[in-house]
Amino acid sequence: MPLDVDQTTSVQKTVRSLLKKTGRIDVLINNAGWGAFGAIEEFTDAEVKAQYETNVFGLMRVTRAVLPTMRSQGSGRILNVGSVAGHITFAGIGLYSSTKHVVNAITESLRLELRPFNIQVTAIEPGQIHTRFKDNRRQNIAFKNGKSLYGKILQGVLEYGDRKSAKAPGPEMVAKVIWKALNDRRMSTSYPVGSDARFYPFIQRFLPDLLYDRVMDFVYSRFKRAS
Amino acid sequence: MRELPIALITGANSGMGLACAEALAKKGWKVYGTYRSVKRAEPLRKLSKTLKVVPLRMDVDSASSVKKAVAQVYRKEKGIDFLMNNAGFVMAGFWEDVSDADLKAQFETNVFGLLRVAREILPIMRAQRSGKILNVGSVGGLVALPVLGPYSATKFAVRSLTDALRMEVKEFGVEVSELVPSEIQTAVVQNSRKGEKALSPDSPYTEFTKSYEAFAIERFKGAAPIQLLVKVVLKALSDQPMKRRYLVKFEDKALYFLKRFLPAGWIEAGIASQFPWCRWPRNGSN
Repeated sequence: MPLDVDQTTSVQKTVRSLLKKTGRIDVLINNAGWGAFGAIEEFTDAEVKAQYETNVFGLMRVTRAVLPTMRSQGSGRILNVGSVAGHITFAGIGLYSSTKHVVNAITESLRLELRPFNIQVTAIEPGQIHTRFKDNRRQNIAFKNGKSLYGKILQGVLEYGDRKSAKAPGPEMVAKVIWKALNDRRMSTSYPVGSDARFYPFIQRFLPDLLYDRVMDFVYSRFKRAS
Repeated sequence: MRELPIALITGANSGMGLACAEALAKKGWKVYGTYRSVKRAEPLRKLSKTLKVVPLRMDVDSASSVKKAVAQVYRKEKGIDFLMNNAGFVMAGFWEDVSDADLKAQFETNVFGLLRVAREILPIMRAQRSGKILNVGSVGGLVALPVLGPYSATKFAVRSLTDALRMEVKEFGVEVSELVPSEIQTAVVQNSRKGEKALSPDSPYTEFTKSYEAFAIERFKGAAPIQLLVKVVLKALSDQPMKRRYLVKFEDKALYFLKRFLPAGWIEAGIASQFPWCRWPRNGSN
């Protein structure tokens, strides 16, 4: 079904025509999204808004469109596809990561707000997955034009990400976790997918701030040397 | 070298911004305090009569306004040593009651506005190879509460953007940190906005929204005095280097600690116990 999450009318039209056919919606998987890449200082206003339009405002547009149906059914499940970047962040992925932190905020508060209507909400949080995400990544103009003041570190992060992604598990693993979530009687608060999606948030939680920063400094210096 | 260190505080015409402007000026800073509407700039003007506080018109929602205001400061002072990204407001309402336009307005100020100001000031600080940026987050950026979803969402974004920015600009000698207040004695509740459908008769959440309002007013009776926050800001300014984030109240520190070390489900159960209307229906299965 054609649907542009950036467009309110497109979302409403598609949800309406779906309801005409099926009469109900049991599960919503908010998966549409893409990753902006670049230094925070160098994103233009328009670039920031474009990233939020899809990853945040788009997700809420679709959610808002299906909620009346789920409420009247007295049941429903919403699975927001977040990311490990909803818990941790790094140079270059700051903007993307902030949208995924927001997805976590939405999931956490929606979970509570929709309890009385028997609607369950969770976040699916993949780490690196071997998909065409790379093709859906948009570098900001400053970096793409080779004019970034942060070029060296960003190049290092990018190359590291691509190396990891080539060896990462495929999207079937995410599908498996989503299937598990749908079969859980009461969905958990979140479902990390992949070992990295568990590891990084874990060390951030359990290492003292200063030590975590030292680890990040080390990673940072390696990125700079590598590029 | 500039005569006095220069600070720029956004949204300085009331509450935390105003109190920090006053405190910094008393400590020997020259403070540019920004306000959006001329009608509400009076407290700043009053302060400027006795202290080195300069009221500066700036609407963080407008890129050109931010650019103009920062350029004005730079022309005069040739540098900025401290930026406190404080401008923000609360959009309250159940997610379904909050329209697309409401949500965008909330992000426009609290997140995009913060980025706009940082974007203009960072080149100045990078050139100096020094400077401190303190972004005002919230405990709502650590845990998301019902009815405060949109506000929490913006503060989750501030937390994460602060962390990434800190890592990115460190090598240029610029420090970035987050101030994390909770209830402080300000007019934040009175100044809060509500989602388009909040309290409308056809919203299924209206009863809940009402009981939340009562809850919020009750919570703010225990709000901490603003001077407690001012002390934390002054500490951040004297810390070399700044810490990653500054929490204000003891109970906020406890929450930060618990959020880190307890399973998410436990934290959720704790929050749910505060909001009795967030209960599962009696005979629901799904």
